[in-house]
Amino acid sequence: MSENTVVDPSGMHREDQSAELKQSASKPTNIVQRVWAQSEGRIGVILTALIVLLAFLGPLLAPVLTGYSPTAFADRPFQDSGLFGTDDLGRSVASRFLAGGALLVTYSVAATAVGLIVGAAFGMTAAYAGGAVDAVIMRCNDVLLAIPQLVFAMLAIVVLGPQGWVLIMVIGITHAPRIARVSRAATLNVINEDYIRAAEMYAVPRARIIFREIVPNIMGPLSVEAGLRLTYSIGSIASLSFLGLGMQPPTADWGLMINENRIALSIQPWGVILPVVAIAILTIGTNLLADAIARATASTNVEKS
Amino acid sequence: MRTGTGLRRVEQALTRRGILGGAIGVGSVGLLAACGPGPAAQVDMSGGPQRGGALRVGLSGGSSADTVDAHIPVNSGDSARVINIYDTLLIRGDEFELQHRLAETFETNDDGTVWTAKIREGVTFHDGKPLTADDVVFTFERITDPDDPKSGAAGLAMLDEVVATDDYTVEFRLNEANSALDDALGQYAMGIVPRGYDPENPIGSGPFKLKSFEPGQSAVLEANHDYWDEGPYLDEVHLLNFNDTDAVINALLSSQVDCVGQIPLSLVDVIESDERMRILNSETGMWLPFSMRVDKAPFDDVRVRQAMRLVVDREEMLEQVFSGHGRLGNDMFSPLDPDYPSDLPQRTQDIDEAKRLLADAGYPDGLTVELVTAPIQAGAVEAAQVYAEQAKLAGITVDIRRVDTTTFFGENYLSWDFAQSFWYTRNFIPQATSCALEESSTNETQYTDEDFADTFYRARSETNPRLRGELIRQAQHQLYEEGGYIIWGFGNQADAYQSYVGGFVENATGLPLSGYTFRRNWMGEVS
Amino acid sequence: MMAKLILRRLVLSLFILLAVSVLVFFATLLLPGDPARAILGQQATPERVAALQAQLNLDQPAIVRYFLWLGGLFVGDFGMSTAFGGPVSALLSDRIVSSLVLMVLAAVISIPLGLGFGIFSALHRGKRRDKAVTWVSLTLAALPEFVIGIVLVTIFATTVFQILPAVTMSPPGQQVWMFPSQLILPTITLALVVAPYIARMMRATMIDVLDSGYVEMARLKGVPERQVIMRHAVPHAVGPVAQVIAIQLAWLAGGVVVVEFLFRYPGIGQALIDAVTFRDVQVVQAVSMIVAVVYVVVNLLADIVGIMSNPKLRSAS
Repeated sequence: MSENTVVDPSGMHREDQSAELKQSASKPTNIVQRVWAQSEGRIGVILTALIVLLAFLGPLLAPVLTGYSPTAFADRPFQDSGLFGTDDLGRSVASRFLAGGALLVTYSVAATAVGLIVGAAFGMTAAYAGGAVDAVIMRCNDVLLAIPQLVFAMLAIVVLGPQGWVLIMVIGITHAPRIARVSRAATLNVINEDYIRAAEMYAVPRARIIFREIVPNIMGPLSVEAGLRLTYSIGSIASLSFLGLGMQPPTADWGLMINENRIALSIQPWGVILPVVAIAILTIGTNLLADAIARATASTNVEKS
Repeated sequence: MRTGTGLRRVEQALTRRGILGGAIGVGSVGLLAACGPGPAAQVDMSGGPQRGGALRVGLSGGSSADTVDAHIPVNSGDSARVINIYDTLLIRGDEFELQHRLAETFETNDDGTVWTAKIREGVTFHDGKPLTADDVVFTFERITDPDDPKSGAAGLAMLDEVVATDDYTVEFRLNEANSALDDALGQYAMGIVPRGYDPENPIGSGPFKLKSFEPGQSAVLEANHDYWDEGPYLDEVHLLNFNDTDAVINALLSSQVDCVGQIPLSLVDVIESDERMRILNSETGMWLPFSMRVDKAPFDDVRVRQAMRLVVDREEMLEQVFSGHGRLGNDMFSPLDPDYPSDLPQRTQDIDEAKRLLADAGYPDGLTVELVTAPIQAGAVEAAQVYAEQAKLAGITVDIRRVDTTTFFGENYLSWDFAQSFWYTRNFIPQATSCALEESSTNETQYTDEDFADTFYRARSETNPRLRGELIRQAQHQLYEEGGYIIWGFGNQADAYQSYVGGFVENATGLPLSGYTFRRNWMGEVS
Repeated sequence: MMAKLILRRLVLSLFILLAVSVLVFFATLLLPGDPARAILGQQATPERVAALQAQLNLDQPAIVRYFLWLGGLFVGDFGMSTAFGGPVSALLSDRIVSSLVLMVLAAVISIPLGLGFGIFSALHRGKRRDKAVTWVSLTLAALPEFVIGIVLVTIFATTVFQILPAVTMSPPGQQVWMFPSQLILPTITLALVVAPYIARMMRATMIDVLDSGYVEMARLKGVPERQVIMRHAVPHAVGPVAQVIAIQLAWLAGGVVVVEFLFRYPGIGQALIDAVTFRDVQVVQAVSMIVAVVYVVVNLLADIVGIMSNPKLRSAS
């Protein structure tokens, strides 16, 4: 999964496109229907829902279905006993697999939300305030973008320790610059509309202009961005756990499971294969969904133009 | 690789073995990929030791700080080098018994204040000079040099002076009685070096001479054919450093090396099932304890400490952490010491008793403690997780705080309230000297009991073995009842080697590959 | 006009690098632990710690140390590694070469692959072949790199077939690229991460170009279709795509970290993870800066390509 891309699924520059998509969110029900109407959208929704269900029901079902809690010991390490054998400490792989998705999904959603809020706030501020404020915010953006996401996250985690909130904040903040760019561009286009100018002339409070007029109008590009960033959040948090810098033992977590069990990949592969497959399905699902949302908003645009 | 001929030989050796490896296939260069049945070369090991060949030893770790100085070995690779280049007066053998090497005899006077060594005659250094009492005197002057004390100096604090009374007799005069000086000298960091020794030109009297050395990368040792004892059979030993355990195991499976020390115990069964491989599974006295600060709440209450010990299911601990390759611990160290009190009842998990003790100590609703762990040794972080799981049963919540090794041994080392530790095999006197007295340099539990110290000092100066044994058992019993360590087991040392390598035997010291005594190894015929 | 824009970008890049260096240096200052104590380990007597602190300039205020460090960077002096002893530059020099080998190989494979599939997809727009390419690229683009890597390892190295090495391993003193079979899986992993983006961008640009009046004209003139595509369409599409390719190459500088860790590949990514594990501050600083420089320089090149290939600017100059 490559991070610093400006390409969106239809192959257009995101900033250019978001300019055209300014009113895409005006009829949200349409978007849901349009997403579902595409085969990609349907498959994306189904795959994502499948893993999200697994992630949240799994922890409850794990002891019932496997007979072991995620931290209980079933056998010696790396044995074939039970449905999917044991892990590096002799715990049930099946049980840990069922329990291992909840934190990943929760943290990814939270990190994406942080990224959207921080990014949108700075992007709108930059666009709305303009001038020096705009320049400072966008230069800070460039600096953050110059450090690869993973390297930045590693630095922060080493300094602050691998706690949950650090993961969420760090991944969120690495998303913020790109979201700020998108929301800045979208805001700039709205600002120049006549009705905003009129509202300003009539001295409507700025906060009200922002929340009544601007926010709804950038929701379209932001929703596309949200799907894409969610995919990247999942990948980044799973990667950090895989590197040993994310979730910490004895937590049952898919990324960490891969780290713990890969030394025995050839003799007891389930401890690696199950979490890999789950992460793959989840990210494919969210990516298809993001693509479908982009097409749905783009087709709105096509109709209007 | 910058240095000359020796390393070229490494490459030649690699190519030669490469032919053997080639028969096994590229697939073997995988994460244990070659563990399935593969075509193994026929090896005839029945003929006994044969001369010739080079043994390639895979070591994990190593850095540019690696050394060949006889007296400051730090990591495992350093010990592999000094053990083979130098000889000591005494050394621990395969059964952890004290063997006489350069000292034919080593005896104390009646009160334990003077020890006399009779040096073996006819031994020469690598440069051909004979080894005499004067070299022994120089060696101990160098180790205990007050301006630059070496690794072994701490254990020789009682040494007043070392005097050569004739060419082959040395007296060790002590400023206080010590009945265990033989143990202190029986360490690999006590190698005898010639007067005027320069670590840049490391001359010893060991079975191998240093041929080339690239710190952090490799060392080549060549046979000392004038060695006074059995062996060496090999022409050369190549010590090759790899980044980590995975890399070194893959090097073994792809026949890039002939043997590796200390493989993860969870992989023992797997590697053993590969018919090209042999496993050396040695029982040792290595321990991986939890340490509780006896001066800090809640562990300052002996009832809490005993409760913390009673929650451990030691059998399960061995199974999960060491894959069953180890022996049970009974909250006392030095299991290979002849005076280890093996008659004390084995402590087992007793949740009810633990809860009762906790309630008595004022924790009727259980207890929450933080356990600081770090990957200080294979199995450490795993043991912490197993402990946390077991302690739950008694209402003890163990929060695991995982730090990196540098942090663990950093400024807060010795002040973690509840943490872990790792020790190699040692007998009671040196072990307690290191970790159970006020003066100990690494007293992780801050255990400074006066009664214990009194018993210990009496034991250390007692030269009558029977009386000393009784004192040691008494001291051990005190640790069993109130010590700060949770000693749940002693892990085996597992090494792996190719079936064509001969001469490896189980070794209890905890040093890998038969205590790194490569003089006994030989290469079988591959047909 | 063009020169001015490029100059502006250049100045901006320098400013960004300077800001990154401040961020990296002061972030690593927050790391707990004293480097001098870490270097000396068990032999840390107060006198030796003080002497080494002076030698490492640790007794100076942070701002002075920052400028000493920054000055060192320009002459290739990255300081002393605490975990391995010796200068950081010696530790990293071989690793930089190893990482570059991997990145160049990945680029050499993924660029033609991405362009090829992009063109193929555009020419069969809306047909089943186009759909197939789109689906495959959407799927691959979604996967974290370590997932792709582990799937490849499972298929080709351990569980299904055992034909390729799963980890990299070079005997001491030999370079990793002397063993080409070990490079295959890491290279393919990186290429599979990068290629889908190039393919999708190429497809979109090609579609635009094919729809343009320019290509229409050529067709109407009776130029053979093959020649229309190769002579007229592709060259016009390559300009915008070049920028995406550059961005993907910049991504490789950070993306190698996970792939190197997965394959135990002895490059700068692995060095960074080891340094983080051992709290080796100087190495963390050095690798972060190297990665940032590569990132910024390639992005700068991408911008320049973008500016040069922009017809409006080109005609203006």
